[in-house]
Amino acid sequence: MSTSVAPAPPDAAGGAGGPGDGGVAADGTGRPPVVGRTVTWKELATSRGALVAYAFIFPYVAFFLAFRILPALYGVLLSFGDVSLAGRFRFVGLENFARLVQDDVFWHSLRVTTIYALLAIPLAVVLSLLMAQLCNRAMRGMSFYRSLFFLPVVTSPVISGIIFVWMFSGGGPLDELLGSVGLELGNWLQNEFLVLPALALVAAWSSFGYNMLILLAGMLAIPPDYYEAAELDGASPWERFRYVTLPLLKPALFFVLVLETVKSFQAFDTIYVMTGGGPARGSYTLTFMIFDQGFGYFEFGYASAVGVVLLVITLILSLIQRRLMGRSES
Amino acid sequence: MSAITERREDPALRGDTLTRRRAPFAVRARKQLIHIPLIVIGALTLFPFLAMVMISLHPGIPVQVPEIFFNTDISLEAYRQALRSSEIPRWALNTTIYAVVSVVLVLLFASMAGYAFAKKKFLGREVIFWVFIAMLMIPYQLTIIPQYLLVGQIGGLDTMWGLILPTIANAQAMFLMRQFMQDIPDELIDAAKIDGAGELRVYWSIILPQTKPILATLGTFVFLWHWNDFLWPLVAQQSPENYVLTVGLNGLQAQNVSLATLMASAVVMFIPALLVFIFLQRYFVRGVMMSGIK
Repeated sequence: MSTSVAPAPPDAAGGAGGPGDGGVAADGTGRPPVVGRTVTWKELATSRGALVAYAFIFPYVAFFLAFRILPALYGVLLSFGDVSLAGRFRFVGLENFARLVQDDVFWHSLRVTTIYALLAIPLAVVLSLLMAQLCNRAMRGMSFYRSLFFLPVVTSPVISGIIFVWMFSGGGPLDELLGSVGLELGNWLQNEFLVLPALALVAAWSSFGYNMLILLAGMLAIPPDYYEAAELDGASPWERFRYVTLPLLKPALFFVLVLETVKSFQAFDTIYVMTGGGPARGSYTLTFMIFDQGFGYFEFGYASAVGVVLLVITLILSLIQRRLMGRSES
Repeated sequence: MSAITERREDPALRGDTLTRRRAPFAVRARKQLIHIPLIVIGALTLFPFLAMVMISLHPGIPVQVPEIFFNTDISLEAYRQALRSSEIPRWALNTTIYAVVSVVLVLLFASMAGYAFAKKKFLGREVIFWVFIAMLMIPYQLTIIPQYLLVGQIGGLDTMWGLILPTIANAQAMFLMRQFMQDIPDELIDAAKIDGAGELRVYWSIILPQTKPILATLGTFVFLWHWNDFLWPLVAQQSPENYVLTVGLNGLQAQNVSLATLMASAVVMFIPALLVFIFLQRYFVRGVMMSGIK
């Protein structure tokens, strides 16, 4: 799922005891396990409890294999091949990638994606952080504001896309407003230089309510004593934010950063609705290229090669972020 | 998990005023100043929605801001136009089927698998689980073309079942179920078994009722995700009568209908999501909070 708002896994490692750690009756027989006896592999696979477990995971695993793992493997395979419209697969080796390297459109879309990410990620993270700080106080009406800020999160990208096409249009509210202070920018979405900032603004508008809640949860987890101690030491509100909130908020902030990074490299829906990749390929991102090559030109192999590039970028970025996070913690 | 629930009870999250000594008026007045940025940002957040509604209520006149917000001469003509000229009712039905059937299947399969991963021991448990986690790294856009080809192979393109099937294996849903079920005491399961309950009965009558809050949270998220889903229905559904609302609305935009009619269609599409949000809000808050805290 691409830009779903479904909750991401909380620490997935969370206490899944390996086989053999003595949970009570986890073999499904109702008896406590015999202490000191090692359970053999065969027993683990054929005991009644295990068979029941296999039955329980079967539907889920079957769907996962068929519609997640198989397509992912097929996608990587496709990038080394070519599929005719009749559905016949032909292996072509690295041909797709060789073509990609020489394709100006690919380099252009890589540049567009990078610029978009560099605009959208800081904008979304800073805005969410500011809003979380603003909303992190007990007062009447706060839950109302928070609900209000969450509204864009539940709004379909197609709906927000349609509204924002009007908002950014020439003669639209934004143009009027800027025109009244002497800034004649015309239609943002028709302007090669303004189209990506416009899309980044829409992305920030759509997601800040969600990120804000995550950061808020992180802020509420900071013990109030820390702030009291800082206040006693004469720390200003800014210093309290800088030296107490920010360092302790790092895990939540990191989570939001990763989320926004993935989102901005995979942005598609609003771009498709608002600009169709234009003007003059001004918003032709990598994901848009996958869609365009795949479903516009039916170049499934070539499109999948772009998909593999996207996968590699995602992996590298998450490794870098993990590194940075680990280093700043130690 | 219990720690999260406690944190959720923090008064700041519920927006209550803390009981405290009455501060001097000046201090209290200064505290109220915080409403100013909140109202400004709230208005900015709300503006696109209000504009959408106002434009839809004033068909046939040029849109002018802010005049349109104070024009009380409203008409429902754009809504009539939207419902008459397009297949919105049909798309709404398709979207409802897509969302509701998916929610039921995702919750059923994810809770079954989550139960087994949380409470049972079997060979391959760790391996299977880590493969699922690794799959989260794969961009959806890489799998959309193979998914399209595979569903095409089994004749599922442009059908409702072909649209629904690939969205059932929701990894996040299974992780959350497993996480939550680990906190259900084993004694509860043992007691039921001693009373003679079979495996299915333990799952259905003991485990599932215990997971109601998480089922509601997940159900809300999965519903909205499907209601707003765009890319997959866009490539999978070819004939207009099989469109879902997002795809249909996007098509309307390309068809050059009037702005008022387009906005009216958007309002119609937004209302169910809005209702779900208003009535199930607390589940959203809980879901987001759970995803952020480890």
